[in-house]
Amino acid sequence: MSQPPVPGPAAGLPPGLPPGVEPFPWRRLDPRMLLVHPVLELLKFLPVLVGIFVLGSSGGGGYWQLIGVGIPVALGVVRFLTTTYRITPEQIELQRGLIGRKVLTARLDRVRAVEVTSSPIHRILGLAKVEIGTASGAKDDDDKFALDGLPLEQARQMRVALLHRTDPRPSSDAVAGATGSDDVPDEDLVLLEFDRRWVRYAPLTSSGNVIAAGVMAVLGQFSQNIGERLFDEVDAFSWIKDRPLGTVIPIAVVSLLVVFLVLGGLFSVLGYLITNWGFTLLRDARGRTFHVRRGLLTTTETSLERERVRGLEVVEPLGLRLVGAARLAAIVTGVKASESGSAQLVPPAPREVIDATGAAVIDVAEPLRLPLVQHGPAARRRRYTRALLGAAAPPAVAVVLALATPADWWVVLPTLALFPIALLLARDRYRRLGHALSDAYLVVRSGSLRGRRDLLQRSGIIGWNLHQSWFQRRAGLVTLVATTAAGRQAYAAHDIPEGLAVHLADEAVPGLITQFLA
Amino acid sequence: MLREPANQVSTKAPVLWAAGATFQALWVPVILVLALVFDWFDVPLWLWPLYAVLAVAYIVAMPMVRYRIHRWESTDTAVYTQTGWLSRERRIAPMSRVQTVDFEQSAIGRVLGLASVTVTTASAAGPLVISMIDKPVADRLVDDLTRRTEAEAGDAT
Repeated sequence: MSQPPVPGPAAGLPPGLPPGVEPFPWRRLDPRMLLVHPVLELLKFLPVLVGIFVLGSSGGGGYWQLIGVGIPVALGVVRFLTTTYRITPEQIELQRGLIGRKVLTARLDRVRAVEVTSSPIHRILGLAKVEIGTASGAKDDDDKFALDGLPLEQARQMRVALLHRTDPRPSSDAVAGATGSDDVPDEDLVLLEFDRRWVRYAPLTSSGNVIAAGVMAVLGQFSQNIGERLFDEVDAFSWIKDRPLGTVIPIAVVSLLVVFLVLGGLFSVLGYLITNWGFTLLRDARGRTFHVRRGLLTTTETSLERERVRGLEVVEPLGLRLVGAARLAAIVTGVKASESGSAQLVPPAPREVIDATGAAVIDVAEPLRLPLVQHGPAARRRRYTRALLGAAAPPAVAVVLALATPADWWVVLPTLALFPIALLLARDRYRRLGHALSDAYLVVRSGSLRGRRDLLQRSGIIGWNLHQSWFQRRAGLVTLVATTAAGRQAYAAHDIPEGLAVHLADEAVPGLITQFLA
Repeated sequence: MLREPANQVSTKAPVLWAAGATFQALWVPVILVLALVFDWFDVPLWLWPLYAVLAVAYIVAMPMVRYRIHRWESTDTAVYTQTGWLSRERRIAPMSRVQTVDFEQSAIGRVLGLASVTVTTASAAGPLVISMIDKPVADRLVDDLTRRTEAEAGDAT
């Protein structure tokens, strides 16, 4: 901590102050913020401004326009002048408001997360917004602890100061790459850097399809109007007008599908680029914190204390798996349930990248590669029965339709295609089902379309739920759920034979269920 | 194999479950009668005996099965519960990870002298609920749990 402008506790008490002078002075935000706030306020006032200018030009009242521009600028200045903050050795305080004064206080040892964001306007000015997440206090938007507008460098130094105030701890858990000595300026270790070739995985995720579906739904609202005009006035569809319905419907379905896929791909690529451009995963030199930096327009830097990481989630939906890709998230614990969750560590990327980064994050590679124990013939039967029963429903409905209504028998034919799909799905679902135990981690894998492999620290398991449906009891299977205070709160190994499940639970957390064994 | 928890719930529990089941089962005849009165749709005659048989079977069998399944146990190092009827859910939490112990008594519970004890951990997945136990048993259980969890150090995450 040798940087002079750090407004952190590391700066310590300045010596030789005359009595009566605040040792920890209140600071203002960066004056460049004066440019950001008016622009933001102008954007907020845009609808009003448009009104004013339209009215102004027709009505001719010149001063109104000036007031319209002046109010947001004035608001920005007032906000800048009335917002101050300071960091004392114990806490960080934020003061704001002209008439209603408000002081927010957060104890430094309660700071759990620090997020540094820069919108495009911030970035042009070299500024960043610092948001501080604490273990207590209301999640009210107004009470959010945010310092909007610090120079980017200062924001980063502040983050270091806030997260590592308990410093001179010998870095025994610091891993390879640590500089060790305090004299050497701390260098963050880069665990992952964005590779623009990964964009090719974007269309294989489902995010773009959601947006595409939304866009198509909106288009659908106008379609009748547009369609009628194209049909009647432009006569664009004359080639199809006189065809029988049996050929028109397939053509319509196929073209809709093509439009959907193209739109979905386009939006998912755009979305991938906007959120993941420049994705960088860093570990600070002492190995105490991970930083995730990302974003094309607005950049975000999230920090994650290493001791809050309880495991990893390898998310491998079918689309990504087919091309040997996946994404990686950390299982993170919080003081309250609302703070725990998953933190993205790697965007959709090749499997080797996932494995290497995961190993670097948890310091062991073994759990990521461990061969899994399969769950046996009863579990396999269950996969097939469930898939086939699901696939049998639409044909059954079609048969009833054909019998009860004048619909033709051919409606049954396309539904039969579901059976081979169901068989493939069941086969894959069984092959993916598995679990394993390493020295420190419980590994569970399941799912086909939304496949996932979860690695949960054995010391993070705080209980077991063994669930058996009526069918599972008859098949002698059990769903073993490890509960934890982190991430999804529960990680399940589905359909394990009862004996194996009990053995696994007993081995993963020694001494807990031993006393209940018969 | 995992054995069942040692203790059963109160012997009054099946009576309460049967009462609840009766209450649930009454909805269908009420709707059927309304349908007859207001002539919404035809109610075939055979539906009545069929439903009566099913309802009585449910009201008699469910509480009996449930009484066999619902069990609990608290040792020095862990809490263990088993609930369910057609399905079965067993939950085990180590004493060192217990965060809260809640005692609860409903209005009916107060009349019948029944109570329930809920044990939570830091995980949002599944608190352990021991319901329908006699009040003195519940009181003793809460005392035990409080004493044992106080003895454990750590933040239970």
